[in-house]
Formats: sequence, structure tokens, C-alpha cells
Amino acid sequence: MSDQPRNVRELAGLVRDAATRSAATRDAGLRIEGAGTWMDSGHPVRAGVTLSVGAMRGIVAYTPADLTITVDAATTLAELDAATREHGQWCPLLPWGDDRGTVGATVATATAGPFAESLGRPRDLVLGVEAVDGMGRVLGAGGRVVKNVAGFDLTRAITGSWGTLAVIARLHLRLRSRPAVDESWAMVMDDARDTPGGVSRNDPGAALREFSRGPHAPLAMLDLAREDAAALALPAGTRALVRIGGNGAFVAASRAALQSTAGATAVAVEPATWDRVRTRLAPGDRALTWRWDALSRRLRERFDPARVLNPGLLGEEG
Amino acid sequence: MRRAPLPPAAKKRVAACASRQVRETPSFPRVTTSAFPTVADPAAPPAPVDVRALAGALAGIVGPSHVLTRDASLLVYRSDGLPGLARDPALAVFPGSRDELVAVMRALAAVGAPFVARGAGTGLSGGALADGVTLLGLHRLKRILAIDAEARTATVEPGVVNASLTKAVAPFGLHYAPDPSSQTACTIGGNIAENAGGPHCLKYGVTLNHVLRATIVLPDGTVIPLDRGDDGGYDLLGAFVGSEGCFGVVADVTVRLTPDPERVITLLADFTSVRAAADATSRIIAAGILPAALELMDQATIEAVESSIYAAGYPRDAAAVLLIEVDGAAAGLEEDAAAVETECRGAGARGVRVARDATERARLWQGRKKAFGAMGRVSPHLAVQDAVVPRTQLADVLEEIQVIGARHGLRVCNVFHAGDGNLHPNIPYDAGDPEQSRHVHQAMREIMARCIAAGGTITGEHGVGLDKLPYMDALLTAETLDAMCTLRDVFDPERRSNPGKVVPVRACKEWHGAASVRGGQA
Repeated sequence: MSDQPRNVRELAGLVRDAATRSAATRDAGLRIEGAGTWMDSGHPVRAGVTLSVGAMRGIVAYTPADLTITVDAATTLAELDAATREHGQWCPLLPWGDDRGTVGATVATATAGPFAESLGRPRDLVLGVEAVDGMGRVLGAGGRVVKNVAGFDLTRAITGSWGTLAVIARLHLRLRSRPAVDESWAMVMDDARDTPGGVSRNDPGAALREFSRGPHAPLAMLDLAREDAAALALPAGTRALVRIGGNGAFVAASRAALQSTAGATAVAVEPATWDRVRTRLAPGDRALTWRWDALSRRLRERFDPARVLNPGLLGEEG
Repeated sequence: MRRAPLPPAAKKRVAACASRQVRETPSFPRVTTSAFPTVADPAAPPAPVDVRALAGALAGIVGPSHVLTRDASLLVYRSDGLPGLARDPALAVFPGSRDELVAVMRALAAVGAPFVARGAGTGLSGGALADGVTLLGLHRLKRILAIDAEARTATVEPGVVNASLTKAVAPFGLHYAPDPSSQTACTIGGNIAENAGGPHCLKYGVTLNHVLRATIVLPDGTVIPLDRGDDGGYDLLGAFVGSEGCFGVVADVTVRLTPDPERVITLLADFTSVRAAADATSRIIAAGILPAALELMDQATIEAVESSIYAAGYPRDAAAVLLIEVDGAAAGLEEDAAAVETECRGAGARGVRVARDATERARLWQGRKKAFGAMGRVSPHLAVQDAVVPRTQLADVLEEIQVIGARHGLRVCNVFHAGDGNLHPNIPYDAGDPEQSRHVHQAMREIMARCIAAGGTITGEHGVGLDKLPYMDALLTAETLDAMCTLRDVFDPERRSNPGKVVPVRACKEWHGAASVRGGQA
């Protein structure tokens, strides 16, 4: 059985119905779905009904000069990227995985990616949320402004809760300007250090780590395993991938630093390489070990007392 | 930003003058963040607590010299950074160690006593006022427990002063980024309670973005670790930050430290209209430049600053100035500064000045940081507000704020974090004039309504506390307020921690549907 609400009111009605039904049947649980590219938590979901928010999709409000955007939950990452790219902006969620996934699922699972350190994690980029909790209450917290301390922070509680506290219907997100200059470099390491018994005098890995902690901190720096280079169509011997962004002078200085890394050669690659990286190097599905302390159990109990939102997903019934 | 609105000398006078007789009619200039009376707490009164017995029990934990019960000794704790509001605590207790803190919390829990945690008392929303309940002062818990320069983290107790932490980590080329203007007095624990910001949070983020782990004591006395849930868990720490002391008390917290920038450039742009300055703000942000800080001061503020001992050399004939700072790697920074200047001139700036050295930079910043104090000279009282609008709405909203002020015969002084759209419309007035006070009250209400209508919010950094309670219904739906009560109940089901703050208590209702959902058990 499947339900597909068209708006938050319908969504709230369906959740409320499920909560009411749960008194009579064990199958009242709802499996919350966006684009259908379901992320496996390693735990079975006991739900008789799939509740798809897939029809709640699209850009709701976007004023580029505010650097904020409001989107419905099932808007895909690709759609978000296309809408903002037009104005030289991006919402750097850029999670592991591909851009067919939805913004709602990215926030619900708090899935970060290779740019999280420099550009922020989902929780840093979400300004507000409209969501329906397990009792069918419609919650609207935060909003289209970048600072907001009015009331307790429901947005932070809901972000990363895997839909077990509330179903996300709509999100207000922080945007950033795309860097004026954006370059990606494959760092090809000299062979010596990989030769059994042979020790290079240089340690380019350490030099790169030092670089990434300094004033020219890159947008991302990723160590690659030997076999990744070929799979990602990168030059042979690539052991690290670096993305630098900023104004011309900043990037020129960063580039010079990369090019002077002893024991390694910097080879320019397309920024699109990162899309392959995000898909290929996404951590595989693994059983999620959720921390079920007393406070977490109480949080779940109070926001979804009938246990209708993704029951079992976080292993709480186990 | 949390700011101590009175200079220390004035604060001492507050303490010296305050008494039951003069509490509502002080003879010294006083600063309030609102002209609003506080709504009465509609919650059912807590079960009566035997104050004498409780004080005795607490003295047994912390020693008699760290428990205050006499009216005279409690006077200094009857207001926070918002002296316009005053509440008398029943007693005050000051634990000197983590063990004492936990024991105190358990003693309070044992008798069901409500309490209000307090750091330095620099908050601007009345959030640290204890109305007939126990005030739990945390300023003695001021140890820096660990600094990890390699990992760029520090673990501190809640009473550590914000600026002391930055001073302690300075030898490592690091600092603690959130920099509320009260940073020389305010504590990290208080910063966490309020999710404090500061001028530099435009680029570096607010307290929430810098807190990694914490140990908290729940109101029932349970000690638990909180984190952001990165390894599989709810973001309980994210929910805790900014909970204004209603969820429990921080025992220790691990924060992120930020490397000092290689270079800083500070600019002062001079405009002949507020609209042009607001437009320049939008243009800078839209051009993709992320300044470390971007502050706007209007003519009334400039005049107050330049007439005071904090004179910063702002052009007195300007309608508005922008104080803009860019920082980061030396490479590319001058290009950013040049782009800022181009956008300012494009918006109609009459001139753009670059601070030549650290001395000039410090002088430009001092004018900004002491602006509220400077306004204290202009009139007997000052109503300070805090609201946020989308950045592109700044020019329109500022213009309407002037219209609202004029309609009520009031002058509104603006000094605020323009880059964030975070407004501080301040109104100098004479509280002794009931007619003028009524106008201030009404003007503030209209300004808040205008900010909400613009898609904004009623507080960006000062918090709700007691002061903003009357606006919460206008901003949030009944269901949302109810859900906020639910979140509070997860941490503090008895609602003993900072009772009556943040969410109007009448908004908290039991969800009747839940009973039927659970099979009809009431």
C-alpha cells in the first residue's frame, strides 16, 4: 500500500490516521520515502504503508541575493544544483552518493560529503524546516534568515533523525556563492615511497595535510587508495585529490603550493571528477548503530508515541 | 551578540541603588531591551519549597559562604544585562566544582525545586532572572580543562569567560570564533545557552557551529554526554545549544578553535542614505564576498559615538556607515577588499577608507562595540531590540522603521549586523514620561510585526528569555510552540529548569491525540 500526499496538510492527515490506526493494528507503520533511492540502515522497517513525499517537489522560494532557498522535500539534489548554478551559487550539501537523491533525504539522514569540513554539514546548511511529527502536528521552525534563536531548536533535532521524529515536508537552506575560480588537482605521488623497503625522503601526504590545515585550506582534500585512481579515470599514481576555490589570487597561491609539493606532481582534472568521487567512494550500506540512551528514547517516544514513523529503521525494536 | 549594555561603573551603581524602594524608578540611566512589561507566568505555581531547609542542604554541599539567602546579598542577581526587568531569587548557590554542581542539582531535584542557571549575567532578554526560585551561579566553574592545539579543540567548564579562552589559546595561533560584544565578561556556558553570535559570526558561524561535545547535568541530576550524533544518534547537543537554560546545565564542553587569519583588512564606507548602505550590503553578499564582519551604523548612532569618549572618527555628516572586515589568507585578500570597495561605490558610497594599521582598526571597532554605551548618554533610557530580516529586505524595512518611529514621535538609532540581516533598532526615550513610553511600546510592536511580515524573526541572537515571550505567538503556530514544549519535556519533564522562559507556557498543551494513540490510557 502506498500513499502520496500532495502537500503538508495531506501529509499531516495521513500520519494522524496512521497514529490512530496503530492502536488497532501492528501494520500502521509508515515507511517514509522521497525519490525512492532508499538508504538502507541495515535494520528492517516494519511498515504496512509506504508514505512517499515524492510529489512534494520543487523550488518554493528563491531570492538569490539573500543566499537562501526554500525547497520541498523531494526536490532532487540535481534540481537544487541546477536552480542555484544559474545564479553562480550552490547549496554545498554535496553528499556521498549521486544527485538523484532528494534534499529531504540528505537532511533526514544528515549525509555529508567530501566538502563538509570546508562548506558545512547538512546541519550547518539547514536554516529551517517544515515537518510533520508522529502525531500529525505540523511544525515550522527556523526560516529564511541566517540567524534565528526564537524558541527551541526543532530543526537541529529533526536533522539527521532519519524520519523517526518527523517527516520533512519543506526546507529552508543556506546557499553560498560558487568560488570565482574553482580548480581540482590530482596529486600523483612519486613511486619511491611505495616501493617495498624503499623510503622516500619526502612525505607528500604529510605536506598535503599541512597545506590543508593552513591559510590555503582547500574546499576538499581526499586521500585515494591505489585502485581508486583507475576507477575514477585519474592519472596513474594519483593518491590524493584536492579542490581549491576562491578569487584568482588566492587560487594562484594555493596552486603554487600544490605544485611545489615535494615528492608529488599536481595534475589538473575537471571539477566534475568530484561527482564520480561522490558516487564511487560513497561508504557502502552498513548497519547503523544508533545510540539509544535514555534521552534519545524519550525524544523518539515524545515525538512519535505511536511508533508510526519508519519503525525499526534505527534498530530500536531489536 | 550578547552585550553588557552598561559600563562597569554604571553596573555598580545598579547594584548600589537597587532596592525594593527604587526598583522600578531608578534615578540613573537605564537600558532596556524592550519597552514591554513582562507577561505573568501563567504556569501553575511550583510546589512550595522550604527555602531555609534547601539553603541548609545546599550549604552542606558548597559551604555556607557560597549560598546566599539574605535580600541584600541577592540584590546583585535580580537583573541581568537587561536591568529594566528585575526578579528576586529566593536564594543563590555557587558550586565550586563539578561534583558540587551535580550534588546541588540532585538536592534541587530531591525537593522539586525550580532553578535558573546563570553565568556572568550579561544576557539581554531577562533569561537569567530567577523569580522566587533558586539561582544557580556557575561562575566559579572556570577551569580550562584541556587544550588540544593539534586537534584545535578546547574543553572548558561553563564559567570560563569567552575572552579568557581566546587568550589562553592565542599562543597556539588559535582563537574561539564566536565573539559577542560582551566577550570580556560573558561565559561559554551562557554562550551555549543563548547560541551567542557576534560580529564575526557572519563568516565563522554562531556558537552552534563551534560546539563539538558536552557533558550536561539534566534537571533530575543525571549526568550525560551529548554530541552531534555524527556516529549514529540524534543531534541532542544541537537541540541543547540555544535552549536558554531550559534543558539543563553544562558541566563541561568541548569547542572548536579557529586558526587566526593570516591577514585582516578593515574598511569604513560612508553613505549619504541608509538605503544606499543597505543596498551596498546586499551587493557585497550577492557578489560572492563573505566578509568576516559587515556592520551598519546610521546617523543617530554615528552622532552618539562621535560625541562620546569612544569617538572613532566616523564622518558626522554621513547618513550611514558600513564597517566591513575581510580576513583570511594574505593571497587574494586585497582583491576581496577592492571588490568590497567597488560594490560600496556602486551603491553610491561617498568614500571608502581602509584602516592603515592595527591602531586605526581598533579605533574603528571600538566605536562600533561601544555604540550602545554611547547612546546611554543621549537619553535617560534606551530600548534595544533584536530582529532579523532577509538581507534583500534591509533597505525597505529600515525605511519603514524610520516611518514607524516618526509616527510615534520617536528617533530610532540603528547599529547592527547588516551582513546577517540582524537588526538592532534602538529607541532612546524617557521612561518617566508615560505617554512616550506607550509610544515606544507600540512602535516596537509594529517594528516586530514588520520584521515578521518580511519573512524574518524576532530574535537573532539575544534570545527570547522573558522579554520576547509576547511575540512568540505572532511568529510561530500553536502546533510548533507545542512541539517546542515537547522538546523541552524530553530534557526537563518537570519544567524546573529556568521555568516560564522562551515558550509561553499556555502554548504547552498535552496532546490529546496521543492518549488515544496509546490505546486510551490517559
